Amino acid sequence: MRMPDIFRSSALRVALAFAIAMTVATSLIFGFVYLQITASDEALVRVVLVNEAEKGANYSDAELRNALDLRLTHDLRRLDYVALFDAAGNVLIGNIDKMPAIPADGKSHFIAAVQPPGAPRQSEPAIFVARLRPDGSVLLLGRSLLEVYALRRTVLVALATAIGPMLLMALAIGAFFARRASLRLTRIHDTIVRIMRGDLQVRLPVRRAPDEIDKVSRDVNLMLDEIVRLLVQIKSVSDNIAHDLRTPLAVMRAKLERGLAGDDDQELRAAARQALAELDRAMRTITALLRISEVESALRSSGFKPIDLSAICADVFEFYEPLGKAKSIAMVLDAKSPVPTLGDGDLMREALSNLIDNAVKFTPEGGTVRIAAAMEAGRPVIRVSDSGSGVAPGERDKIFERFYRTIRNDRVAGSGLGLSIAAAIANLHDFDLRVEDNCPGALFEMSARLKSAPKQS
Amino acid sequence: MSTTGDPLKRPLVLLIEDEKGLAEEIIAELHRLGYPVQHVDTVAEGLDAARASGAAIMVVDRMLHGSDGLSMVETLREEGVKTPVLVISALSSVDERIRGLKAGGDDYLVKPFAMAELAARIEALLRRLDDVRTTKLRVGELEMDLIEQTVKRGETLIDLLPREFKLLEYFLRRPNQIVTRAMLLEGVWHYRFIPETNVVDVHIGNLRRKIDKAGEPSLITNIRGAGFTLHADA
Repeated sequence: MRMPDIFRSSALRVALAFAIAMTVATSLIFGFVYLQITASDEALVRVVLVNEAEKGANYSDAELRNALDLRLTHDLRRLDYVALFDAAGNVLIGNIDKMPAIPADGKSHFIAAVQPPGAPRQSEPAIFVARLRPDGSVLLLGRSLLEVYALRRTVLVALATAIGPMLLMALAIGAFFARRASLRLTRIHDTIVRIMRGDLQVRLPVRRAPDEIDKVSRDVNLMLDEIVRLLVQIKSVSDNIAHDLRTPLAVMRAKLERGLAGDDDQELRAAARQALAELDRAMRTITALLRISEVESALRSSGFKPIDLSAICADVFEFYEPLGKAKSIAMVLDAKSPVPTLGDGDLMREALSNLIDNAVKFTPEGGTVRIAAAMEAGRPVIRVSDSGSGVAPGERDKIFERFYRTIRNDRVAGSGLGLSIAAAIANLHDFDLRVEDNCPGALFEMSARLKSAPKQS
Repeated sequence: MSTTGDPLKRPLVLLIEDEKGLAEEIIAELHRLGYPVQHVDTVAEGLDAARASGAAIMVVDRMLHGSDGLSMVETLREEGVKTPVLVISALSSVDERIRGLKAGGDDYLVKPFAMAELAARIEALLRRLDDVRTTKLRVGELEMDLIEQTVKRGETLIDLLPREFKLLEYFLRRPNQIVTRAMLLEGVWHYRFIPETNVVDVHIGNLRRKIDKAGEPSLITNIRGAGFTLHADA
């Protein structure tokens, strides 16, 4: 980050806010301490004085004089005031000459400025209690609040000295963290700019111990992965469409050209018919390709309803049974008990149709095609098995890819996309579709993924 | 373009299509089949022509000079125009199809389509108007009792599987009409996709074996490049 930026960025604002918050908090703590000290010490002084005055008022003259003398002798710091006035208001004993302006009611009173006797000090605040004795004289007790006020001052001075450096330190710490956060955001911003310019390979930085920003970055990265996957998919679809449109177009063009070149009307008609058939084939392929994209881009589980895979198997089985019989293939259905799941019934039927279509295609006369649906360990499973030539181990993953044709595929009609459509539909339903050896033949198994298993794509 | 006095006495088709080439082909095919055609190429003209209500059926392209043919259909439906509508569109997804039917379309045909498919769909929509609820269907010698679920040819009872019964019912409701494979898949099996193998042909073959008499021509004939027809006069 360039230096001037710091004044424009939120970093400075964050640092200032942090500093102000710290200052306010510290001042509040000091204020609390200050008030606590004053209030509790003053209260204590008041209680002690009232008690002592009450006790002293009832002493005999001799006892009182002794006690007062003792008190004056012990008060080295000259914080105590004691005096005994006669009924006329003349001082009999004590270190204060004149009765202050308080009533002799035995209650504590605050006096803001008293000149302490015999001490080289300015006037100071003090608490006084005056109490009338039975003989008409008045006992006066008092205590300077000098110490309490000194402590108060110390607290204030401490606050005043601390607040400046603390403010600076808070600013520094705030600026440090704010700048660090701001630097991270700048890095993220720069990365995003690169991505926006078209570099889809870069990813946002994620630290090893992730915090909230890292979690968001990670989500953004996952989103980018998905976008890249979709882009690749769109590209492969358009590539495939281009390929599958150009080839039949070339064939059609050649056929029509050849038909037109001759003089024979019959030949032209035949060429036109062949071209039309070629066109239909290309159209079917493109429809199938668009169908795969449609299924793949469909919102997962939007419009999913409870369906019974067993019933769907029976339904599709019924549709294909005559086709099998026409090829002398034994068609077996094993779907007796309900197999409930959430899904799109039409799409599941389409997936199953493609699997059975494929099985019937690759099973020789006299063979067997078996369709089974069952709940296994709480998971719905559909199996379509045949007694055909099977799928070589090396080809088992590839046959679900678009346009992959096995060697045996060449003698059989079809776009070669049926299994890809089935795989896309299975994936949409969070089902796995895989092929295994049926010894002999192929066994296609479509089963619900375990809930915890991550999505394959 | 008028075809008055045509022996087939086909009703007027209102075609709302802005692509010249496609419109020409559709008009040529419909004329060949004996339909008079009124052709317009904008939504505004389409609305006017439809309100004049001379047409028995409308064929509407979804995209008309950038405006939506479906909203035109919606407007007409709100106004109470009940003329059947066949929507033709390049948008093929199931959702688009449902949207087309929700807007008031009666059938939805995805481009590119065979002219025979278009003709068969138009015919089906036109016939639907005089489709009456009935308990017995009779075409030539064939008689189907929908309550008893029995089929007879003459006096002979024919034993059909449930799905074969449905298949035959579909034909009996559309005698002398071309029925395409896609229509059968939709109407009999409720399939919205075309399987790679021509399973429908196998089902038709099985049905034929049960309803035909040895030595006589089949009641259901193949129409090359289009579909099948059940003949009433066989």
